[in-house]
This record gives sequence, structure tokens and C-alpha cells, in this order.
Amino acid sequence: MDFDLLMPTSAAEAIALMQENPNARYLAGGTDLVPNLRRGIGAPDILIGLDGVEDLKGISEGGDYLTLGAGVTLAELEGSGLSGRYGALSAAVDIAGPALRQAATIGGNLCLDTRCIFYNQSKWWRNANQYCLKLDGDTCHVAPKGQRCHAAFSGDLAPALMVLGAEVRVVGPNADGWKPISDLYHEDGLAHLTLAPGDLLVAVRLPVVSRDLRSGYLKSRLRKAVDFPLAGVAVALRREGDAITDLRVGVTGTNPRPLLFDGLVGGMDQGPNDDALSAITKEIGQMIKPMRTTNLPGLYRRQMVTVLTRRLITDLYDAGDRKE
Amino acid sequence: MNPPIKNTVVGARVPLIDGVEKVRGVAKYTADLAPEGALVGRILRSPYSHAELIKVDTSKAEALPGVVAIVTGKDSPFPYGIVPIAQNEFPMAQEKVRYRGEPIAAVAAIDEATALAALDLIELTVKELPGYYNAKDSRAVDAVQLHDNKPGNIERDVHNSFGDVEAGFAEADLLGEDDFHCEEVTHAHMEPHAAVAEYDPQRDHLTFWSVTQVPYYVHLMLAQCMDLNKSRIRVIKPFVGGGFGARTETLNFELVCGILARAAKGRVRMVLSREETFLTHRGRPAADIHLKLGLAKDGRITAVKAEMAQYGGAYGGYGIVTILYAGALLNALYDIPAVQYDGYRVYTNTPPCGAMRGHGTVDMRHAFDTMLNRMARQLGLDPIEVRRRNLLEAPTETPNGLQITSYGLPQNLDWVEQASGWKKRKGNMPKGRGLGIGCSHFVSGAAKPVQWTGQPDAVVNLKLDFDAGITILTGAADIGQGSSTIVAQVVAEVMGLDFSRIRVISNDSAITPRDMGSYSSRVTYMVGNATLHAAQKLKARLIAAAATALETEPENIECLGETYRVIDSQDSGISFEKVVQTALIDHGAITERGTFTVPKAFQGGKHRGGAVGSTMGFSYAAQVVEVAVDTDTGEITVEKVWVSHDCGYAINPLSVEGQVQGAIWMGMGQAMMEATRFHEGLPLHANFLDYSFPTMMDSPDIKVHIVESMDPNGPFGAKEASEGGLAGFLPALAEAVAEAIGTEINDMPITPDKVIEALTKKRRADKKRKRAAS
Repeated sequence: MDFDLLMPTSAAEAIALMQENPNARYLAGGTDLVPNLRRGIGAPDILIGLDGVEDLKGISEGGDYLTLGAGVTLAELEGSGLSGRYGALSAAVDIAGPALRQAATIGGNLCLDTRCIFYNQSKWWRNANQYCLKLDGDTCHVAPKGQRCHAAFSGDLAPALMVLGAEVRVVGPNADGWKPISDLYHEDGLAHLTLAPGDLLVAVRLPVVSRDLRSGYLKSRLRKAVDFPLAGVAVALRREGDAITDLRVGVTGTNPRPLLFDGLVGGMDQGPNDDALSAITKEIGQMIKPMRTTNLPGLYRRQMVTVLTRRLITDLYDAGDRKE
Repeated sequence: MNPPIKNTVVGARVPLIDGVEKVRGVAKYTADLAPEGALVGRILRSPYSHAELIKVDTSKAEALPGVVAIVTGKDSPFPYGIVPIAQNEFPMAQEKVRYRGEPIAAVAAIDEATALAALDLIELTVKELPGYYNAKDSRAVDAVQLHDNKPGNIERDVHNSFGDVEAGFAEADLLGEDDFHCEEVTHAHMEPHAAVAEYDPQRDHLTFWSVTQVPYYVHLMLAQCMDLNKSRIRVIKPFVGGGFGARTETLNFELVCGILARAAKGRVRMVLSREETFLTHRGRPAADIHLKLGLAKDGRITAVKAEMAQYGGAYGGYGIVTILYAGALLNALYDIPAVQYDGYRVYTNTPPCGAMRGHGTVDMRHAFDTMLNRMARQLGLDPIEVRRRNLLEAPTETPNGLQITSYGLPQNLDWVEQASGWKKRKGNMPKGRGLGIGCSHFVSGAAKPVQWTGQPDAVVNLKLDFDAGITILTGAADIGQGSSTIVAQVVAEVMGLDFSRIRVISNDSAITPRDMGSYSSRVTYMVGNATLHAAQKLKARLIAAAATALETEPENIECLGETYRVIDSQDSGISFEKVVQTALIDHGAITERGTFTVPKAFQGGKHRGGAVGSTMGFSYAAQVVEVAVDTDTGEITVEKVWVSHDCGYAINPLSVEGQVQGAIWMGMGQAMMEATRFHEGLPLHANFLDYSFPTMMDSPDIKVHIVESMDPNGPFGAKEASEGGLAGFLPALAEAVAEAIGTEINDMPITPDKVIEALTKKRRADKKRKRAAS
């Protein structure tokens, strides 16, 4: 690993540097990028460090939005206490381990590369396995007959932010504006981010009205720390009387992108019930595609999406009940 | 059991004497050694599982500026291996490669980038052969042989029978029979592999530093594979960050580093990546087990018949020993009148397996104790009571010739039963909770070394000079387990001195006496005894010197550590320093030598392979594991573990507790999450993210109780403390999970997906039963 590290102090400068060096990579916390570089996944001559970019820092609440800088570390987010008001942000508390959360950032977590046991390997390993569709090869070892990459997006924050109605601000050579966080992603393991060359994710904002939603996040993993989610589910719902009047589910860990399911309130006039929950998990089940990309089987991950979705909806509904 | 002796230093909770350096981060491990002038050594590893190696063309790599030396299999056509009769591995592949990751060539270059670029320029011509990744495929009739002299790809088959097994089964009221599978696991020691080799071309001498647990065997194999006289080699072991058996034999990178340094005529530093450390492996093999057990209705074991196939990897290594251990230690835990064992050590195209904590015994113990728990339930008996009906009584000899001289299992059972509230709670746990028990044992040092020399099993020298300090010179490899602390405690105890006068120098072949190394939990027992012997001799000599100075006979002298005086006198006596000065008159520096040799009577049965499993003292452990299972997600939470370990006598209770907790942890990893797994011979999880072992968040409260059975031959009564507790965790967890979910899981690890699968099967079966009933 041999590269020059450039340290811009503003987003504009960072973007300009990226335009001058199209093969460079942005470096935030580095907890995803650096292990991959060490494995020979990419070999940029230049890394553009974002540590000193002021535009990316800080958490602010004002007007209709809560705004989180993309450079805010997961530890800062955890320490902000925001998950008390936006329950699904509890996702940040449990990402990786405490040491990694000191470095890892919100933007980095949203822009995580997709993962696969056939991809996150050394160059020697991938060479011995004739590489793969995602990098340097032409076969997907997960589904050799297909021509799609099934590497899974494994960020925890994306589904949580999705159900809270978050938008992201992307600034680049030809971009500057807010858009729904879902628009950040494609269903393609090879290129799952919609960012254009030079684009920089600057901030995320949540409508403060989402505070009125009850939200939460649960994930499945083999260990109680460190591991990426095998599957993660975020739910936000609004309860009025006995009825659920707004219900959104976000799913991560199963597809090349995080998925948002919206407008799921059918049959919930009297709250969660088996038929309605089954209909929801069926709808989700048709979209998710957990494949053999992790150390536990795809079937189990599929089952967990159902279990966690049902559990979260029921728990959030009941928790609200108790509070009232 | 005799009550433990009350001592001042031995028996005290002494922090490890080398702990300060480690905690402060100043301890020098192999990779920390001064790299000045060192070339970077890197290994070219086979991308093929199984192939004839037709040509290794290094010409382009040699032409690369900055490359100093390149070596291949041709540079060392000498086989090596830990078991003298099974040496079939070479530092670098010869005519064939047999697993992905096997070293083929190596480069010494001025920097890492050059070394890596050179590796890319080495061209291989091969003819690929079919690869086999499990015992069944390897043993298929049409399988290509990995080794020409090993038909059927069997490294060793073992067929032993003691007592009348068929009569035992005929006598049984309940027979149980089932299949078990345990996945392969690896040690996951913290420090990646590393070695530094410095070759002096003028003198034809090699100085070698490595991460090894067995510097002596590394020394021997360097001599063998470099065709270099042993006297021209010096092996030094710096601080070592764990081993757990991964480093109990000479490893290929060590030999490659030595060979490369000679070719480069200088100093080569080789630091392996985590992936390469995984590829070097030597972990616990995957095992298929078929077990049949007979119980009388009162719980008495009447007979056991066990068959095991181990997926051993591509080379012999410790394989013969591992497959023998699995059968031998079916004995010596419970009283079993008839034992039949059929073991098959099978070659596969995967990295070679080796010794790992609880060597050979763990998977078999899982199958046996799991079956015992299940059958106890079927008979309506308490599994702890069943164990009480099958206790041994020390001293005794097992049918396969193992000697049992002390036996704390009954006390272990009593404590875990009481502490866990077993009697009231077992069988009455709330839904989704369960309690399970498992017992296990291990040797306190293999009674017979793999290589016979006629030398004592352990030698320790104590050097005493003008400074009135005692230097303990030992070849025992402290790899974090605390052996240097134990020898210091023994000397301090005998001499009545505190640690300020004692220092330990361990593991420099130029200075310290030969020691076979840290494996099979031999060090406290054997080296401890040798140290005790040396200290007693030194003390006798100082008492004699004090007698001279005080003009009396030695039997009148009392040693109070810093003071020697005439017994019961009002005289203040003379100081330790004065005694030392007297002892040195006309003699100079004193070196007192202590030795320990295991008597032949302890070296196992007369049958072929009968020495494996033999020891002077078995440690015993019992544990109760409590779990909570989320039946929707299949997630298992270990709520608490109560473990009682009979280590004979705790020379350092603090250290014993740490070792027992570590064993439980490692057992927990194997039982719940660890598995190496391969994709066509490529390791899927060769990193610490994907190879999951428990984090602190997964760790339960582990209550450790120490039972002191006072072994008649151990130093101060001590036995093994770090391996015996591991194996029992697996069956204890399996039993606890079975209670929590109402169905059985035989295969390890019990990951959440397996729990869900078992529950789904159970629900289907229950439905079917209900339909049939109605």
C-alpha cells in the first residue's frame, strides 16, 4: 500500500482535488477502505483525507431538520443521545466495536462498499479463485450462472435513516442538493452508489417531525459485537389509538443496497395482527435476496428479516401503548 | 486427599512477572526486533489445491532490481515433521503441491514492494489434480493419493479394543447410537507468525528468532532442513503472543526464513499476514464421529464404541498423535469397563492440522458426554448422578494402561452441582432456558516425548554468583501461559526469598538448557519439578556454606531466606549475601542443576501407539453452563458458567483462574461460532472479522473453583490447569441448549441457523405426531 494523503479543509477543495486526481479515493474513518486496500482491492495513488473538512462536521437542530455532518463519527452520534428521540439511530451504538466507532463516520457507513466472502479476500486468494465479477473477474461465485453481483450492502445506519425519512446532501462537480437517501443506492453489487465521479456526501438531515414516529433497529449477527449485520431491520411507525397509520421498514444486509418499504399500514386498523404482519413480511420477502455472501446461510438471513420485522413492529406498537 | 500445604509464595496470587512489559507495550515480540539491515522475506504460496509441480521459473524475479535471494524446494530437499516416523512435509513444495497456501518459493528483497513484485514474476507450470476437502471424498476408492505411500489417503488408522465391548452392550439396559460432526477450528492466537533469521557466512552460523512454543524442535528442524550442524545454530524465543498449539511444531515459514537468510547471506525478517497465519494453521481437524454407548438402568456405563475420521489436511504433522489421543482419552475420565475405538486420520487438500488446546480429545468428549447426558435423560436419571456412578478411584490404571494418581472429579461435581443450584433448577428451567453439564480431563505433560533421546524430560539450571542474585535458566517457552512466573515462584518458595533476587532467562539455546517446549501442558509439571529439584540442591549447598561460616553442622542450620542461623538460637545469624560469599570461596559462580524424568511406568499401554495419552497426572474439570435461547432468532446467550478444575495444587491461583477462563472461552468459541470453512480449499474466514471467536460482549460470568487433589508427583502437588476445562464446555452447552429448545443438536458449532433448523424440524415432527394421534 503506497499512496499520498492529501488533506483538504473544505468540501469544495476536496472535490477539486478529486477532479484533478480521478483515481483518488476519499478517506473518512478508513475502517472499510483501509482493510480493502490492504487486500489489494483498489490501489489508489492518492487518498483525499476528509478529517479536516469543516463542512462535514457537526450535528445541528434547527427549523424543520436535524442535520448530521457526514464526518460525524459513530462515537459522536452515539454520545449525542439522539437515539432517545430517534429510536432507530440506536443502530449507531452497536456498529463494529468501540475502537472502530471512534474513527468510523456516518458518511462512511452510508457509503460502505458491498461485501461478499468471495470479494473481501486477499489478492492471492482472489487470484487462486479466478477473481470475481465484482473485481477483476467475470464470474460471480455466489451465483455462477448469473451476470449480477450479489455482494451485500451491510451498513446499519442506512435503513434506520431511511425509515426516519432522511435526505442526503451530495455535492460534486455537477451536483449540490438534497435527495432522499434511497436515491443514493442502486440494486447492483458492482456499483451500488449513485455518486458521480467527484461527488461527496456532505450531510444527512432528518425531518424533526420524524421524532413523532416510534422507531427502532434490530440486527442479526453471530457475535454481539464487531460483526457486520447478517440482516438488519429498521422500523418506524405512527400509532393513533389502536391503529397504525404510518409504517416503514428498512432492510440491510440482504441486497446490494438497503431497501425501504413504505406505506405498509394495510390491515393495521386494530394494530399488528398475524395476517397483516404476514402480508408485510411477504412483500419484503419478495424483494430481499440474501445469498451465500456471509458466514451464515442466506435462508437464515431471510428468516431473520421476517422475525426482526415482526418483533420490531409489535414491540414499537406495544412500547407506545405502555408510554401512553 | 491431603490438605494443601500453606506456603508463602507458592500458592499465592502472584501477577505474572512479565506482565508489566506486556501491559506497558514495551515487550519485544519477534516482529518488533530491530529491522536494521534486515531484508524482507515473502513466501510464494500455491494457488492450487492439488497439482504436480512441473516447473518453478524464478528467472524473471531474479532479474528484478532489489531482489537479493530466491529459494525454492530445490534449496531444501529434506523432509521435516514433529513425529519422526511421519516426516513428509518440506519447507517448500517438491514435486507436488497439496493445499492452497503451501509454500513454493520465497524471496528476500530490499523492501516489501520489491519482494511482492518478485513473487508475481515467478512462473509456475503445473498439472492440476483433483482436490479433496473432506474425509469421505479423500477416502473414495477412485481418489488420487496425496502421498504415494499412503493408500486410501489414510495417514493412520487405529483399532483398539479393551474389555469385552459386545458383552458390555449386551448387559446394557439402554443403548444410544448417533453421529456427530465437529467443524475444523483454529487457534486464533493474537500475534501473527513472524521469524527473523541472521546468517553469518564467515562462520556458517545461523541465529534465529521466532514465535515458537518449541524452540528446541525448531532448532532440530532448521539443522535438518538446512543440512547444518546443530552447533552452528542458535535459537532465541522473544516474547510470544499466544500459541494454543499452533506453534508446537516447527512451521514451514520458520524453515523458509532460515533457508532464505543463508541464500541472502544476511538477515531476513519475515512477518506473516493474518491470512498466512491462518494458512499455516495446525488447528483442530474437522471430525466425523459415530458413537455407541451402553448404560445400565442405574446409569453405569457398560461399554463404548467410537469411530472417528479426522480431516487432517495435506501433511502428517501431529496427525498420528491427534487420532490416537481421541481414542486413548475415552479412558481415564470415567470408569468404563470396555472401550473400542476405530480412528482414521485422513489426508485432505487443506492446510495441515495439528495440536490445539485439548489436543485430540475435544470432539470425542463432546460426542461422549452429549450422549451420556441424553441417555441419562432417557433413563430418568440426573446426569450428575450418572457421572457419580462411573467415578474412578485413584490410584488406578485404566484398561489401556494409563495411570491415575489423583482424581478430583467427585469434588468438581459436588461444587458445580451446589454452585449452580443444579438439583433444584435442572429440568425446571423456564421456557427458552437450559442448564447442561460436561466433564473433561487432560494430561499434565505427555509422559513420552515424540522424540526419544534418553535425556531427562526437563533440566533447569540455577546460577548464583557474586551479586547474590539467582538466575533461573530454563528452556521452557513462556508463551503467555505464565511458565516463567511459575519457576520463579518455585525458587522463591524454596529459598525463602522474594522476587528481587530472582530473574528468569528463558529460551536462548546458547544459554539455557534444552527443553522440549510448551505443549501438552507439561511445563508446570515437568519443568516445575526440575526447578524444585534445582532449588532444593541450591538451598542445601547454601545451608552447608552457612554451617561453615557459623562453625556448626548443616543439620543445625535454619534458612529464613534473607537470614541463615543456628536453629532456635537467639543469635541473629548471617545474611543471605554473607552465606553466598562463603559458598563462592574457592569455587566461584555456582550453577545448580535440577532435572525431572517421567518413570517408564507412566508411559502408557504396551499396544501400538499406547504412549499417547499417557501422563503422570490427569487434570479433571466439571462445568455447568446456563443458556438462554431466543427461539425466534436461534441466538444463544451463555448466561453463566460454573467450572471446577482439579489442578492438583494451585501454585498460582490467579494464573490458574485465568487459564481455566481461557479454556472455557475457547470451548465456547468452538461450541457456538468458530469454524474455518473452505471454498475448494481456500479458507473462507482467514481473518479476525469472519473467523468469529467470542468477544467480551459474548462472554458470560465464569465462576472458577479450584479443587486441589494434591497429586503425589506434581511439584507441590500441582497438575495441569489450562486445557482440561475446554472440552467439557461443548457437551455442557449442547445439553443446555437441548433443554432450552426441547430438541437435540449434535453438530458443532451450534450457530443460530442450526437452532432454527432444529426447531423447524421439531415443529414439523410434532405436527406429524399430533396428526397421527388424532
